[in-house]
Amino acid sequence: MEKILITLNINDKPCEVMVYPNDTLLEVLRDELDLTGSKESCGEGVCGSCTVHMDNKPVRSCLTLAMEATGTKIKTVEGLASGDDLSDLQQSFIDHGAVQCGFCTPGMLMSADALLKDNPRPDEKTIRKALAGNICRCTGYAKIIEAVAHTDNPQDQCPDCKTGSKTKE
Amino acid sequence: MRLPRFEYLRPETLGQALSLLAVHKDDAKILAGGTDLLVRMKKGLLKPKALISLKALNELSYIKKEDACIKIGAGASLADIIASDIIQKEAKALFQACGKVGAITLQHYTGTIGGNILQDNRCHHYNQSGLHRSGRQACHKDGGKICYARDEADRCNSTCQSDGATALMALGAGITLARKGGERTIDLADFYTTDGIMPFAIESHELLKEIIIPVQGAKSAYTRLAYRSAIDYPIVCAGVLLKPSDTQKDKIDEARIVVGAIARSPLFLVRESSSLKGKNLNDTDAFKKAADSSMNSASTFAVHNVGSTLKYRCDMVSEMVFQALKKSARAALPTKE
Ligand SMILES: Cc1cc2nc3c(=O)[nH]c(=O)nc-3n(C[C@H](O)[C@H](O)[C@H](O)COP(=O)(O)OP(=O)(O)OC[C@H]3O[C@@H](n4cnc5c(N)ncnc54)[C@H](O)[C@@H]3O)c2cc1C
Ligand code: SF4
Ligand code: FES
Ligand code: FES
Repeated sequence: MEKILITLNINDKPCEVMVYPNDTLLEVLRDELDLTGSKESCGEGVCGSCTVHMDNKPVRSCLTLAMEATGTKIKTVEGLASGDDLSDLQQSFIDHGAVQCGFCTPGMLMSADALLKDNPRPDEKTIRKALAGNICRCTGYAKIIEAVAHTDNPQDQCPDCKTGSKTKE
Repeated sequence: MRLPRFEYLRPETLGQALSLLAVHKDDAKILAGGTDLLVRMKKGLLKPKALISLKALNELSYIKKEDACIKIGAGASLADIIASDIIQKEAKALFQACGKVGAITLQHYTGTIGGNILQDNRCHHYNQSGLHRSGRQACHKDGGKICYARDEADRCNSTCQSDGATALMALGAGITLARKGGERTIDLADFYTTDGIMPFAIESHELLKEIIIPVQGAKSAYTRLAYRSAIDYPIVCAGVLLKPSDTQKDKIDEARIVVGAIARSPLFLVRESSSLKGKNLNDTDAFKKAADSSMNSASTFAVHNVGSTLKYRCDMVSEMVFQALKKSARAALPTKE
């Protein structure tokens, strides 16, 4: 079986890369393109740590063939910040202590980012549903949900919004 | 986890896809969203020589109303089905079922309704890693001659956990299978074999093209039980349809009760369904009786091979059917002014 040259559009940049037909998008991102933000945990669709956007929709990159990603727009967690400037969502995760080991974080961010694009001020139930496919084994979900809810909607009574560097204004 | 090697084929028209299937037959598998197929391939449960991708094939992703039927292309995504007005209004059970599948970020955008119907049956003795399976003799589904789930079973009783198929069978759906040079349409209820090794009556050169739901002024509902509200497959589910009589709006003219995630295929329970004909739409005693009887009928097919204990799953059949009946009756009752 031979490698094939494909072009992927990743974080708005075209990337030429040689892949095997049985390479997943996750393997190509991490092993060929050095975009190691997306994580492999289960490799079988259960955990969500490999979540990326394909044409603005969150999908599992461990269950997507790299070949199937040609002709689509891929966005990974590396595409959220502009340079050293974190996105509001990323900053809110830091401010609210929504990151512990950080392994689930890239997937959480991508699922949450897709939600906030559609609905900047979602209620708790909507956030829970949007993040239901992402498993976190250390932070628990309360802080993550708070971080998403307060990204575009900082709360006076929330101490984390107050101490936060960006969200307090 | 690496995928085994295969040749990747990407036809651009249905005709091309059918020609490829006609050549490759058993050696090839259709790749729709891949959320079932790729997991099985990673676990070494199958090693197709070629994958025929439906990615470039736009002609299979439609939802439309035509000749008193809803027609859904097999390549329509679960997200499209959930967002469809037609489905929300006239095929509620399917809307409710698709919304419950796994998780939004897992298969709503990539998973298709065709793949949902044709996902392989599951069993906790079989859907395991190669390492796990190598520690013991192979079971029927794995090419051996024994079954771990039911002693002395001469066949595989793996469980169909498709949310979509259970709802569609309740809706009385038919499916169109296309092959090079022709197609056939059958009732979804007739699509299943009696052996979980190959649960579907589909030929290797056939492709699921369309799902057809008759629209008949009926109301449907779907209920399911799973460990978690997301990511998990159902461990028991029920789809029902109630059609009020044309002349007496509060009487049931036709009922369909289907129980899923309990047997090799969704079970259309004919006796329990017909027991509701002529009953009043708010006759909860009749619903309770039908639900209990559904539990007894479905239990004879149940095997302990997914999720919780067999007793719990069987007990919950009654509750799932009862709740689904109440939900659809509520929707079917004429609204009081
Ligand atoms: C963690 C996890 C949780 C899940 N939870 C659920 C759940 O709760 N409920 C549920 O119902 N499913 C669940 N699934 C299974 C699966 O994701 C869904 O059923 C999904 O809808 C399958 O669609 P797909 O397009 O990804 O199928 P694919 O994986 O692409 O295909 C599935 C099978 O159907 C065949 N196929 C697909 N389309 C066609 C066609 N048009 N003609 C002929 N053959 C075809 C393929 O060859 C393959 O054998 C889960 C999967 C995972 C990994
Ligand atoms: S039901 Fe029996 S034969 Fe079928 S997969 Fe399970 S253990 Fe194997
Ligand atoms: S690594 Fe993709 S879902 Fe777990
Ligand atoms: S922060 Fe460790 S898994 Fe979520």
